[in-house]
Amino acid sequence: MAATTHPAAAEAPVRGTAIRRTPLERLEYAIIISTLLLMVVLTVQPILNLVAMSLSDPSRVAGMSGLTIIPEGFSLDVWMLLLQHPLVQSGILNSILITGAGTLIGVMGTALMAWGLSRPHLPGRRLIFVLVLVTIVFEPGIIPDYFLMKRMGLLDTYWSVILYKAVNAWYLIILVRFFEEIPEELLEAAELDGANAFQIFFQVVLPLARPALATIALFYLVFHWNEFFRAMIYLNDQGKWPLQVVLRQFVVEGDKLAIVGANNAANNIGVAQINLKALKAGMIIMTILPILAIYPLILKFFTKGTMSGALKG
Amino acid sequence: MSHRFALGFRRWWPYYLMMAPGLIFFLVWHYFPIWEAKMAFEQVRIIPPNIWVGLKHFQTLFSSPVFYTVLANTLIISAMKIIFVFPIPILVALLLNEVRSGRLRKFVQSAIYLPHFLSWVVIAGIFIALLSPSDGAVNQITGFFGAKPTSYMTDGFATRWVLVISEIWRSAGWDSLLYLAAIIGIDQSLYEAAELDGANRWQKIWHVTIPGIVPTIATLFILNMGMFLSADLNQVINFLNDVNRGQIDILDTYVYRLGLRTGEYSLATAAGLFKAVLGMAMILAAHFVSKRLTGKGVW
Repeated sequence: MAATTHPAAAEAPVRGTAIRRTPLERLEYAIIISTLLLMVVLTVQPILNLVAMSLSDPSRVAGMSGLTIIPEGFSLDVWMLLLQHPLVQSGILNSILITGAGTLIGVMGTALMAWGLSRPHLPGRRLIFVLVLVTIVFEPGIIPDYFLMKRMGLLDTYWSVILYKAVNAWYLIILVRFFEEIPEELLEAAELDGANAFQIFFQVVLPLARPALATIALFYLVFHWNEFFRAMIYLNDQGKWPLQVVLRQFVVEGDKLAIVGANNAANNIGVAQINLKALKAGMIIMTILPILAIYPLILKFFTKGTMSGALKG
Repeated sequence: MSHRFALGFRRWWPYYLMMAPGLIFFLVWHYFPIWEAKMAFEQVRIIPPNIWVGLKHFQTLFSSPVFYTVLANTLIISAMKIIFVFPIPILVALLLNEVRSGRLRKFVQSAIYLPHFLSWVVIAGIFIALLSPSDGAVNQITGFFGAKPTSYMTDGFATRWVLVISEIWRSAGWDSLLYLAAIIGIDQSLYEAAELDGANRWQKIWHVTIPGIVPTIATLFILNMGMFLSADLNQVINFLNDVNRGQIDILDTYVYRLGLRTGEYSLATAAGLFKAVLGMAMILAAHFVSKRLTGKGVW
């Protein structure tokens, strides 16, 4: 055997202190770290570039490079103009309203339903589970959904987007699994104290489930804030558009008039004088800001929620 | 029997009451549309009732050349994503696992997870800026090496790659989390044994880490295959324009345009049902194959 010439043979006895690394190992490590740092740059630079553009002196944005992350001069003109724009103002309010109501209704509906489903002896439990799973597997598509909204008279109302699939099947399953793990003794103790089913749920279960509820709430929050497709097809009235739809109209559809306004464009006043690129950049960053604001929370709860959901899958 | 029922009711009615809102949501928002989908077999009339026409719309659909273009695009884009997007998070997880400093790893993770939480509208906005022929970062870099400015959003074949790369940008970081979780679950003594045998970094990755995450890879691969027919509406609709339509129009965007833009409700519903039924078959197949091979299913 070649064991005698094997480098590990010499190192093996001092395993605990074998931190000394060969130049090759150091090079490998440097390459690994550089690759990861490159990924960080590729992820963050495009966003920082837009931040820089939105904060630059508007007259200097036209020649700005896509590679820089430093503003050319400094000015809040872009932000001021965006924030004064009626579509942006209503967009912010609509997004907050839809996200807030959607999250609240979603969390309550999901928690209440998950609690029932988590009781192993609930009659009809299997049937309800099957009903829920069918919805994951079979989706008849957007046209029947649209007609359902129309038939219920919800088109062009906030309810169409707030209530659309208000209880998410995946989040429901995550909560059911969490509730199933609440120790039976705790519930029995509460029952012996004379608590009824509602009191047990609201006074024992919900406080215990706070981390799980926070996770689900964040799931709904991100979902509703980022939702654009349903809002786009259900809401005709521009005044009801959430920020994502306003952004889409302006940046993706390239509808300059939507943001500049026909009157301003014709007379080249106000917003029309600002570089379009800068306005788009500001609009994108504005739509991301709330996500960035709660990002520390997302990192804390999403990571755990996703991992536990995935591992038990 | 009725006595037992009465007892059951007395015990369980509060639970049903609490479940009622959620159940109603499910029935209304998921089951009514299934009923509405019968439109695919009807002639929609302005004044009801609609007339039953059987499979007529499906015949129209299957004899339309656009349908086959759209189907082909869906399959091509899905295949490109499976081949080029799927492996990246595995590599990212392997790299992250090699980082010795916990702080550095956390820093990298916090940065690369972020795009997962941005909407496709935002991501499309970012990519349109990045790819701008006049001053986008990509054309500046390729221009530095002497290439002519390219308009990636107006060449459908190039836009397909934009779909792949923007998908990597969005999900490679976050999806690595699942693999990282699997790596953390690997028995540490296996690494110690490998070290005793004199294994270097690559040998440890190859002989311990990768075998340890193969079940996770298999599960996620099969589940991805189950989603083959949804090339992601939310993504594609934000990269789609009149010029690149020929190459990136997928089943979902076709249904949307047909139904909600041109008002061909029945035909669009038929196309949607075609996708729903085939998609269901694929997800169920994926679920049972995955359950059998790896013990984990879709749910």
